[in-house]
Amino acid sequence: MEQFLAQLPQQLINGLTLGSVYALIALGYSMVYGILQLLNFAHGDVYMIGAYIGFGVMTAFLPASGPLPLPALVIILLMFIAAMLGCGLLGIGIEWFAYRPLRNAPRLAPLISALGTSILIQNAVQLTLTAAYHTYRTDKLIPITAGIDLGPARLSAVRALVILSAIVLMIVLTYLVRRTQFGRAMRAVALDREAAAMMGVNVDRIIVLTFFLGSALAGAAGVLNGLVFSRVWHTMGFNAGLKGFTAAVVGGIGNIPGAMLGGMVLGLVESFAVGFISPTFKESITFFALILFLLIRPRGLLGATAVQKV
Amino acid sequence: MASDKFGRDEWVAQIDARRAAPTGVTGQLLARWNALPLGWRWLGVLAAFAAIPFLTSNDYLIRVAGTVCLFATLSLGLNVVVGYAGLLDLGFVAFYGLGAYAYALLSSGKFDLHWPSWVTLLFIGVLGLAFGVLLGLPSLRLLGDYLAIVTLGFGLVFVQLAITMDRVEVPWHAGPIDVTGGSNGLINLDPLRLFGLDFGEPLTLFGYALSSVALYFYALLAALAVVLLVIYHLNQSRIGRAWRAMREDSLAAEAMGMPTKRLKLLAFACGSAIAGVSGGIFAAWQHSVFPLNFSTDLLITLYAMMVLGGLGSLPGVVIGAGILAVIPELLRSPELARVAFYSAVVLGVALFLRPRRNGLIVLAGVILLGLILRLATQTLWPDLLSPPTITVAAESVSTAFERTAQTFGIIVQKWIILPMEPTPPGNVAFLVLLPALLAWARLQPSRLKLGLLAPLLYLLAFVWETRLTAEPAVTRLLLIGTLLVVLMIFRPHGLLGTKRVELV
Amino acid sequence: MALLELVNLHKHFGGLQVVLDLSFEVNPGEIVSLIGPNGAGKTTVFNLITGLYAPDRGDIRFDGKSLLGLEPHQIAKRGIARTFQSLRLFLNMSVIENVMAAAYPRTHANLAQIIFRTPGFRKEETRIRAVAEEKLAFFGERLQGYRFDQPAYSLSYANRRRLEIARAMATEPKLLLLDEPAAGMNPNETLEITEVIGELRTRGGYTILLIEHDMKVVEGISDRVIALDYGEKITEGTYHAVATDKRVIEAYLGRKSAMTK
Repeated sequence: MEQFLAQLPQQLINGLTLGSVYALIALGYSMVYGILQLLNFAHGDVYMIGAYIGFGVMTAFLPASGPLPLPALVIILLMFIAAMLGCGLLGIGIEWFAYRPLRNAPRLAPLISALGTSILIQNAVQLTLTAAYHTYRTDKLIPITAGIDLGPARLSAVRALVILSAIVLMIVLTYLVRRTQFGRAMRAVALDREAAAMMGVNVDRIIVLTFFLGSALAGAAGVLNGLVFSRVWHTMGFNAGLKGFTAAVVGGIGNIPGAMLGGMVLGLVESFAVGFISPTFKESITFFALILFLLIRPRGLLGATAVQKV
Repeated sequence: MASDKFGRDEWVAQIDARRAAPTGVTGQLLARWNALPLGWRWLGVLAAFAAIPFLTSNDYLIRVAGTVCLFATLSLGLNVVVGYAGLLDLGFVAFYGLGAYAYALLSSGKFDLHWPSWVTLLFIGVLGLAFGVLLGLPSLRLLGDYLAIVTLGFGLVFVQLAITMDRVEVPWHAGPIDVTGGSNGLINLDPLRLFGLDFGEPLTLFGYALSSVALYFYALLAALAVVLLVIYHLNQSRIGRAWRAMREDSLAAEAMGMPTKRLKLLAFACGSAIAGVSGGIFAAWQHSVFPLNFSTDLLITLYAMMVLGGLGSLPGVVIGAGILAVIPELLRSPELARVAFYSAVVLGVALFLRPRRNGLIVLAGVILLGLILRLATQTLWPDLLSPPTITVAAESVSTAFERTAQTFGIIVQKWIILPMEPTPPGNVAFLVLLPALLAWARLQPSRLKLGLLAPLLYLLAFVWETRLTAEPAVTRLLLIGTLLVVLMIFRPHGLLGTKRVELV
Repeated sequence: MALLELVNLHKHFGGLQVVLDLSFEVNPGEIVSLIGPNGAGKTTVFNLITGLYAPDRGDIRFDGKSLLGLEPHQIAKRGIARTFQSLRLFLNMSVIENVMAAAYPRTHANLAQIIFRTPGFRKEETRIRAVAEEKLAFFGERLQGYRFDQPAYSLSYANRRRLEIARAMATEPKLLLLDEPAAGMNPNETLEITEVIGELRTRGGYTILLIEHDMKVVEGISDRVIALDYGEKITEGTYHAVATDKRVIEAYLGRKSAMTK
């Protein structure tokens, strides 16, 4: 019991770190699902591209030896901007090519198209950048030893950065959704696409912007993941995408605060499973948690029940 | 009443069918073929397939034929769940794996259980049914998209468990038990022994020697035939109608007395049983099972087969399986792959461009463009070019066909710009090609679109020669991904499916 | 004894009370019409009867037995079939298949019989086909002959409505719930559907509860009319009695209209 309590704070920190990444991925899923009722399987691969872009920028600015040409925080900021911009544009491209022609097609068609897009992206990366792992040299930007001790736990600078960045991004998104015209339009389109169009909302543009936002967040998640967990490879998007969707579902699909909550919950559950039960079964445990959750509360933590008019 | 006259003209009513039917030579052949009774058509195809081991003693070819049968059977099973019941099951391959591992554990030296094959296969069938119901139960309460993710997770977890269950702690045994062999899998499985026949040993029939590979081929072909028959019968019954009704409108179906929950479970169970038994035969055939046999890769391939052939169409799914099972084999030999690739491009251009002379113009344009570019590079930057990397093998080691393919390869390599270092420019060209192709596909048909096709095809050939031939595995997946997206946008009903009308 | 009894039925969705203390009966062989302005809860009543929704309070009895807690397909098997306000045909299935599919609750072939195509299976398939053709024949020449194999989406609107009724008939019900069968029809078709509904009772022997807005239809065939407004029954009786009832006029046209009548 004592061991449990002693480990708890560290697992909490780990959980929140992981949860931040999942939350950002989950947001993209939730937003797109809310607006198009589409499971964007390629979303995880956008996240992967974000990690790669961040890696590229980092490598460009990291000298082989000697001091950094720019302050570390600036480099990190550049990584974020590049990844978010790049992924946002990629998201727009995916929507335009793989989903827009299928706007009025039966549900199965865009799902299969999404699957195909996911495969395409993964293998395009494998073809051009090989299947080798790439590693973020975070230690060159942020010294490993930097951090603060919170009792028995240690909050490293990197983890603090991840959690903080995620919180900042989520606050910005919440502001966008709650307080701006765009956010209102987005919520309107999610509730009733036709009615929104009749109210003068440019539905296509809103959809494009939603994809941009969601993908940009995934890109940021990719950079964050790279910073704290280092490894980057072409199939990392698949698992992460699955977890992101799980988080979105747990929080209530289509619900933005739900996605954030779901992400955090999932991160904590996974960290606890790894820390307290066994790392080998972590995927299975997360998965069973998802099934159990869906059985008990299919609409998620914050989701609303959908009423179908007969 | 006067209104009786309207809508009673049968010829007018069938105008859509007439428009859709192909004309000319293909149309007439098709009409003749379709005039034959259904049973005869299938028997003919299956008999032709059965003749393969008698036409060639090349084990490799027979093995490919066997793979086609296996994948066709799997795709048919998946078709029951997705095409008939409309449930997006992304964990299907896990049932395949379950059957394979069950065979590996029950008919091998692993736990020294050498169950007779027919018992094992029967058990696997029942196991498949049971697990299908088990997975189906939670799915009843889930919306289609949630179901997709849950089943996907199930598939992933299965592979995970297979990899990690080589160290299972149990209370009644000191030390961990190795159940699944981990990532090394399980080997030395018993061969199939049915009807007094040992499939692991060659058999002499009517003076003709059938290798073990051929025997397993027949087992797989028989399995395919049985599954086809069962599914066809199910389709033409109240269950088939209920499944289709459920897929159309689940609520209305329920209101018309069809127990949708039970029917969904039945679809799941049938699909899983088919997958499980296929897995068992596969395990015996391969003498081994490895976790990575059952990855998402295979799942995507099965979906591509189904979608290419046409969801819900039995012959379509079989044809789709045939095409997509043969392609990786073609890609194995670069020379053969090259012939197939260029043939496909030429055929595609010739078939899809109307009028036909446009196709000829485009092809001529590409060849001309290539020659010009090659000449330019040769005069300006000769050092960048590499001589052909292919040589024509001696007569003693290759067939005439192989030598022709090699010669063709040399000609192509002299026509295209083949850089000394093919990888970097190839990668760049690929990254340009992808968005360019996609953007081009969305253009409205026009002179511009036609004109742009030639440089695009050249770029495609360039990427092919520099990168794609060197990476057959990746190329196969790229092809499948593109196929899935393009099919959904331009021809969602695949090759032989029927166009569906949906109310969104 | 009444065939269908609604007893003190209550249903709310969130804060909205859609059905409030509703009670009425339908006797065997009757044609009863349910009328009321839009939003009065008429289709909700159908959904409650067929098991799509569960009532908050009250009971629904069919043939004396309660229907509460049953799944929709079980209720269909008991003998209640319906059509939908916005058509819900199996669009990509052929006309005959739509009707044959609905014969499901009266069929018994099990998996073994189906897979091995036993004589018992074949006999049942022939019977199902005959039933389907018989139900489609109800509508004259319209859904006959080559029409059998046409996909349902190729039918005209009026034919789709007819097909939906034929489909409901294939479940061999005792009670037919028709949700606005004349919606969207021109005067000729409306007349025809009125006749058909009458024939459904005389030739088919069905008891019918229908929702309708077109008062010509209601007047033409109803034995009894029940008027709803805001989920409550406001009155019940012959067409004439209900049509001249002040409360009904008020519900449809507003208080001023009621006062000027």
